[in-house]
Amino acid sequence: MKKALDLIAAPTGIQPGNYVPVVYSDLDGPKTPTASLEVEHSTRGWRFRVAWPCPEPVRDTGDESDRFPDAAAVLVPSVGDAPWVTMGAPGQAIGGFLWRADRETLQSVRAEGLGSVQRGEAKGVRGLASEWHSGEWSLGFEVAGWKELDETHQVAIAVWRGSARQRAGLKSISPGWVQVTT
Amino acid sequence: MSDILESGSTQRQLAMVLDLNKCLGCQTCTVACKKLWNKDSGSDYAYWNSVETQPGRGYPAEWRETGGRDSEGAVKRGEIPNIDTGYGRAWNFNHKQTFESSGKPGAQKEWLRPDSNPKWGANWDEDRGAGEYPGSNHYFYLPRLCNHCTHAACLEACPRKSIYKREEDGIVLVDQDRCHGYRFCVEACPYKKVYFDYERQVANKCIFCLPRIEEGVPMACARQCPGRLRFVGYRDDPDGPIWKLVDQWKVALPLHPEYGLAPNVFYVPPMSPPQLDARGRPTGEPRIPLSYLESLFGDSVGGALETLVAEREKRKQGTPSELMDLLIAYDWNQSFALGPKDAEVSLG
Repeated sequence: MKKALDLIAAPTGIQPGNYVPVVYSDLDGPKTPTASLEVEHSTRGWRFRVAWPCPEPVRDTGDESDRFPDAAAVLVPSVGDAPWVTMGAPGQAIGGFLWRADRETLQSVRAEGLGSVQRGEAKGVRGLASEWHSGEWSLGFEVAGWKELDETHQVAIAVWRGSARQRAGLKSISPGWVQVTT
Repeated sequence: MSDILESGSTQRQLAMVLDLNKCLGCQTCTVACKKLWNKDSGSDYAYWNSVETQPGRGYPAEWRETGGRDSEGAVKRGEIPNIDTGYGRAWNFNHKQTFESSGKPGAQKEWLRPDSNPKWGANWDEDRGAGEYPGSNHYFYLPRLCNHCTHAACLEACPRKSIYKREEDGIVLVDQDRCHGYRFCVEACPYKKVYFDYERQVANKCIFCLPRIEEGVPMACARQCPGRLRFVGYRDDPDGPIWKLVDQWKVALPLHPEYGLAPNVFYVPPMSPPQLDARGRPTGEPRIPLSYLESLFGDSVGGALETLVAEREKRKQGTPSELMDLLIAYDWNQSFALGPKDAEVSLG
């Protein structure tokens, strides 16, 4: 399955705290307006390829105080139709993998609502490859087994543009769960 | 005393008063803090406690313009200071070359200098100040640290609830296990006293020397101050120095009260000698303009200065002044009131 996605800006008005909802506006639209998502299922597991435009890559934040890396996440609901825009909800977790341009390995992520993301070591991931070329990032990896995806066949993506100092809830996201057809 | 602690705040609030009339600008507090708590290479540029010259751009540069509150106390978009132009990158010195060159007869002498080309740093504009020599030039030192605000902007900005305020003493802390390094706290703090550890990828800040406080020992910055300008205690302790200076005498004022965060670090504003006219005669106008002090400490600064001048005059006339005796810190034990376990301070 390969799909071209029109991304939206994650709504800042619902972000936790009294700062981001007040000073950051999502009215300008997503920093990353489009992405392509390719998902394949085989006996080896699930294979993903995500690509998105990025005119000014940030691969490394080095010893800087104000730089943020490019990043992307592929996420799946633990139960069908767990809320995506709010990163799940209590009892309706979402989980997946986070890629950051300044790291060599993926991190696992799990959340039950905004501000609840837990990061950990990603297990069962093979063939991680990322490349920036001609204004576009492409990211590929395989996951040996993903029970939730086997059951729900739903996946979503989020993209953070480091040059725009995007992090946390400042991100571009698929407008909802994408139905995976194999 | 409970009305001192605003509704919704913690059970008690640890606080500090700094008498700016006594600050020498020696940076002993800065070094005491840095050596004790903040030696990680990822925050080598960061000073939880810093002493800056005012009027000046401060540390980080232009921190008043880059914070997350406007002059009416409304939340506004702050900035994360750049490590080169905002904080100033930590640099090393060419000690080896300098000492080697000085030991070789005939060799060209190396001057001691940074090994980089720094653009800014803590107290970069040292002793520059403002005004015209010799009639109105002036400066004073402003030690700054986290204000452990009652309504902390950093705490309210964190989407992960990684920053919290201790119920027992109101100390504002970062839970670094929860922190994901998003730096909204750095942006939002109008005092710019939350820092980012770029190696560990987490925020850090002054912890009010929490482990010392729990043992009844004052913060390192206060304990090591040669000028004895710092007072430590609880906001609601009527026998302690904080209540006396803030609430009884009303000579200790918060920095930028207009931000609306109810900071718990207070300052006794600096008195200054008079300006001189063209013929060198005192004009009666203080060298540090009242309007400038009001821009830092609010409208109450004039009243505080009047009280200080009046009490100083009483003391000069030989009349007892409880306020002057407290500020002079004849008895260091009176500077710190940390509860039943504060025996350590008797060593001073």
